[in-house]
Amino acid sequence: MEYLSLFVKSIFVDNMIFAYFLGMCSYLAVSKNVKTANGLGIAVIAVLLITLPVNYLLNTYVLKAGALSWLSPKLANVDLSFLSFILFIAVIAAITQVVEMIVEKFLPSLYSSLGIYLPLIAVNCAILGGSLFMQQRDFANVGESAVYALGSGIGWYLAIVALAAIREKMQYSNVPAGLKGIGITFITVGLMGIAFMAFMGIAL
Amino acid sequence: MAKLKETILNPILKGNPITVLVLGICSSLAVTVELKGALVMALSVTIVTGLSSLVCSLLRKTIPNRVRIIIQLVVVALMVILVDQVLKAYAYAIDKQLSVYIGLIITNCIVMGRIEAFALGNKPIPSLLDGLANGIGYGLILIAVAFVRELLGSGTLLGYPVLSAIGYVNNGLVILPPMALIILGCIIWIHRSIDKDLQEK
Amino acid sequence: MNTNSNVYTIIYTTLVCVLVAAILAFASQKLAPKQQENEKAENISQILTAGKFGTKEEWQAAGNAAIVQYYKDNAAVAFTVNAEGQKVRDLDIASAEVYGVPGLKAQNYNIKGGKPYDIPVYQFKNGITVVAIYGAGLWGPVWGYISLCNDLQTICGAYFDHESETPGLGGKIKDDPSFRAAFAGEKITLGENPFDIVKGGAPGGVLDDSKVDAITGATMTSKGLDAAIDNWISSYVPYINAVLASKAAETENAEEE
Repeated sequence: MEYLSLFVKSIFVDNMIFAYFLGMCSYLAVSKNVKTANGLGIAVIAVLLITLPVNYLLNTYVLKAGALSWLSPKLANVDLSFLSFILFIAVIAAITQVVEMIVEKFLPSLYSSLGIYLPLIAVNCAILGGSLFMQQRDFANVGESAVYALGSGIGWYLAIVALAAIREKMQYSNVPAGLKGIGITFITVGLMGIAFMAFMGIAL
Repeated sequence: MAKLKETILNPILKGNPITVLVLGICSSLAVTVELKGALVMALSVTIVTGLSSLVCSLLRKTIPNRVRIIIQLVVVALMVILVDQVLKAYAYAIDKQLSVYIGLIITNCIVMGRIEAFALGNKPIPSLLDGLANGIGYGLILIAVAFVRELLGSGTLLGYPVLSAIGYVNNGLVILPPMALIILGCIIWIHRSIDKDLQEK
Repeated sequence: MNTNSNVYTIIYTTLVCVLVAAILAFASQKLAPKQQENEKAENISQILTAGKFGTKEEWQAAGNAAIVQYYKDNAAVAFTVNAEGQKVRDLDIASAEVYGVPGLKAQNYNIKGGKPYDIPVYQFKNGITVVAIYGAGLWGPVWGYISLCNDLQTICGAYFDHESETPGLGGKIKDDPSFRAAFAGEKITLGENPFDIVKGGAPGGVLDDSKVDAITGATMTSKGLDAAIDNWISSYVPYINAVLASKAAETENAEEE
């Protein structure tokens, strides 16, 4: 039950895009059509789902104050949390690199349409944000962090596919010349964000 | 010489990182509630982008292609954390002001985006200039958005009462992040109405 | 040279990692004493600001040495208390020993995990008692100090700090003096929920005791700070009750005589 409420909460109430506005760059740039949006969304889910549990273990057994006491009781006073930023980023970058290599090998067309935004998943704030939120919320076990990762990833995926669908339809609308493309997209996302604020008050 | 001028001017106008390349949006939503934060962020990002482009350009021939993202990020993070540590020891008051932005700077896609797109294929000096110019282009947009948001949202500018002094009732919506997106949209509209080449079909 | 061979990649990455780790370790070793001194003075200046001994700007201008000296001159006793309201150990005033942010963080784990905790109390010669709070904001930890007047139930002043809240929104818990000022004069309720930061204010514009208005646009930070205050102040409640009980006993004795 707890897992379910955490899952639903991380998709809607704590949506990475609309509640925290994380991961905006690639979100805006790679939402021109549903197909590529789909690809990037799945890549983000994959990266989140691998990095968060890894970072959770890293945080629990290496970084947190007293986390090293499983090695020897003498290390109980060691607090390495000042390293958490750089280690989390290194893990994220490494896993992004692996995902990039897999996509390049097996889905070359998707690889070329994602362009620079695939390596940029490494600096996608949604991923690092997820790790930092996880560190801050003190999840009880790896399972919770994985559920949280899956929920946030799906939330991000839904948001990007929804925007891509709107943008596909918008091609047929009569938008002022200067606003066409990215301009009207910003405004659309702003309005979607205002709509999503309705979820903020829901307690699960 | 003409090429250098192009390197500097392009990111500020035609190839602006925010309004044209759509990089660094997250941080531009977070730090544009007040003008002061936007100024600090603009300055820090300009310095970090310039220096990390320079360093990565110097290393560009040695970096193995498959691990380039990790190396780039480690270089950027190292520099930012190092500066943070030194400031913490010798200029604590400034560090207190900046520490909030550290995380936002490391994960700012402009830094990584410029390294990937420019510094890895160009000589150190143009890379440094490209990084600096992109930081300035980014900063200009930040300052414009922050100006509108602080004026309409809090009725002040740099903390001094402007509109609130003449009985203006603050618009709470402008403070919220969705409104930053809408203001950015309007800035893009203005930018592209002036520079018609940038309009998308 | 083939920069794409496996051997080169592995050696290069290892070298960079070792180099970076060495630089960071060296820097943190070299700079640590200076940083700790700064952090300690910062903590003490926050305690003093919460106790209304001066504003944050004044302390900043005064410098580290003056801050520590002022604390040594004006603090009466400092000690830590546990869940039974008993004193655990003394904090040395002569060496200006205070709980830093990592110390508060460790105790926060204990409080939330239901483990035995010992949390700091700073008493000053003019009767003001300063207690600490710690919790999670939107992006990172928030912490601060609340000073209680002689009766231990009225808030005298407060100071909050944060690691990475949004400047201009959540960051206002530190930067907006009027938010902090609103705490002064409020009463805390000696129970599970000692204090509330409420959204939108009360109908009619006047808030009850033990409530202050939240920051517009910073719902999560306000909620986090509210939870931090509730968790920590309710952990101090056994101590406050013990002091009040002994005070009441004293007055009773005095009346009997």
